[in-house]
Amino acid sequence: MSGERRGAILVGCAIVAAVVLVGVYLAAGGASYTPEKTQDPCKHRAWTNPEGLQEIAQQFTLSALDGAACQLGVSRETLARALATPEEREHFTERYDITDAQLAKAVRAGLLRAVDDAEEAGALSPVLAGPLRETLRDIPLDRAIELINNAESLLDQAQGILGPAQELLEGFLP
Amino acid sequence: MSEAPRPRVAALALAVGLVLADSSIVVLALPEIYRELDASVAAVSWVLVSFNLVMALAAVPAAHLARRLGPGRAAAIGLAVFAGASLACALSEHLSTLIAARCIQALGGAAAVTAVLELLPATVGSERRAATIWATAGATGAALGPAVGGLLTELVSWQSIFLIQVPIAIAAAVPILAVARHEAATGVLSTELRQTGRPHLLANLALALISAAIAGALFLLVLLLIEGWRLSPIGAAIVVSVMPLCALLGSRVNGWVSSARARAAAGAILISGGLGGLALLPKAEVALTLPPQVMIGIGLALVLSALTETALGGRAPQAIHGGWTISARHAGVVIGILAVTPIFTHDIAQQRHDAIDAGTAVVLDSKVSPLLKIDLAQKIGDRLDEEKGKVPTIGPAFEPLPDDPGEREEVVQLREELQDQLNRGATHAFSPSFGIAALIGLLSLLPIGLARRVEL
Repeated sequence: MSGERRGAILVGCAIVAAVVLVGVYLAAGGASYTPEKTQDPCKHRAWTNPEGLQEIAQQFTLSALDGAACQLGVSRETLARALATPEEREHFTERYDITDAQLAKAVRAGLLRAVDDAEEAGALSPVLAGPLRETLRDIPLDRAIELINNAESLLDQAQGILGPAQELLEGFLP
Repeated sequence: MSEAPRPRVAALALAVGLVLADSSIVVLALPEIYRELDASVAAVSWVLVSFNLVMALAAVPAAHLARRLGPGRAAAIGLAVFAGASLACALSEHLSTLIAARCIQALGGAAAVTAVLELLPATVGSERRAATIWATAGATGAALGPAVGGLLTELVSWQSIFLIQVPIAIAAAVPILAVARHEAATGVLSTELRQTGRPHLLANLALALISAAIAGALFLLVLLLIEGWRLSPIGAAIVVSVMPLCALLGSRVNGWVSSARARAAAGAILISGGLGGLALLPKAEVALTLPPQVMIGIGLALVLSALTETALGGRAPQAIHGGWTISARHAGVVIGILAVTPIFTHDIAQQRHDAIDAGTAVVLDSKVSPLLKIDLAQKIGDRLDEEKGKVPTIGPAFEPLPDDPGEREEVVQLREELQDQLNRGATHAFSPSFGIAALIGLLSLLPIGLARRVEL
């Protein structure tokens, strides 16, 4: 075999090997192996048939985070981390140039959206939803954040508004 | 010239291998160095860049010096400077002193490597054979460097990489001292001073481009394995040793194909294809880095020897033209590292943010109890704070696992999903940089193709 022919075979083999490798990795999903994109918080997320106070509280928290994040123009996940500790919150407000008043407004809006979502999902009776909304409209920022982090206490609070018995609240819940 | 040539040839090859290994030997130690010396990724990359930059700038002047001073003396002095600077590197407690010592190490190394190329023809009896030994020793050193550096970092410390070079440089210098003594005693240089011809521009340009691509590949792959996928330096050393092993395989093909242009083109295509594969890794699995590494290793052996042979072939004096190839290769390494570092550091910050967002979504949407979620969120937050700026290892945040079997299963699944998001972020952060390195590799086909009529 001539030297030139051997050279052509070598270059041909190199091209085939390169194309096959890149093609196989592309076909195996190499171009899309990235972190999953977070969802738009302004889009409505359907509640997934919650059962019991604890699950309703979880869905409520997620809806509240979505509502607040939508208003602030950040992802739900970024806001969730920001509300975890006072230091994180300070870092977040500095980074996004948000005042405490704007944050309070957004968190209240988020809690109200959560009440709407809970009512729409049939997880919260309209009898409970009305007084809850009234309570949430003027709630202080620290308390609002506390409620987002622990929605169960908010639902317990709603129970406090309506009456003394835990069973009564549970009775309103599916 | 009383000594038998064989030990001297071995010493000369050892000197070349040792110095050129230094252009890549610290790659696996960089994460350890930047942790210990409290530096950033960009700052610590100068441990690598400074050596290669000084080599690139000093190689040709060092070759001229070797011809004026005498190659024996230049090689012996160069190796002595290299040994002393290596000791200084090992004793450095600050990044600035380490970088300064690396610059001096490169000065000594440039003198030694170019002088050796002047000594080799007289020792082995042929310029062509001398060029082959010189190129092979250099390629072997550069290819073995990362694996040896990784092993030493893991088994001893990053300082041991430099300490071990001191006795090796001295051992390589001992047989060369006989030549230096002969030069000093007689005042006669072992090589005649001939007119310097022009360097082979296209071959050296292709060498620079391909070296940039290879440097990017090594630097990025090591960082991906250690910082992205959290392998130990020894684990990463074992993984990246695939490249030098395949380079040995590739060197056998060199004898089968005589056309240097075909070998250079095939090598550049294989390297670019391998880098393209690394840019498109479909999962964070070490096994998936092996096929690209095989291609890069074989390509490296083909292209480096073909281009070095071409740059030196029929040109005199060898030391000066060898100096040009050293200069081109190390300039390429510098360009490669400087080109990919800012892209990579920007991408890793962005991907870290995206991965943490995706991981937070996984935790928020998980089925674990709210109290456990809050506890986990705090521990994960602490991990993120501890490893600021890096891709975090999330496993410890989940310890201890809950006792309840159902809850334990949910937490284990959550941990896996979260780690998957972080792995995706860590892997994808390297993709654009690998892609750019692949393009630089492809770009080297231009000078290789243009040199068609010049017979590359």
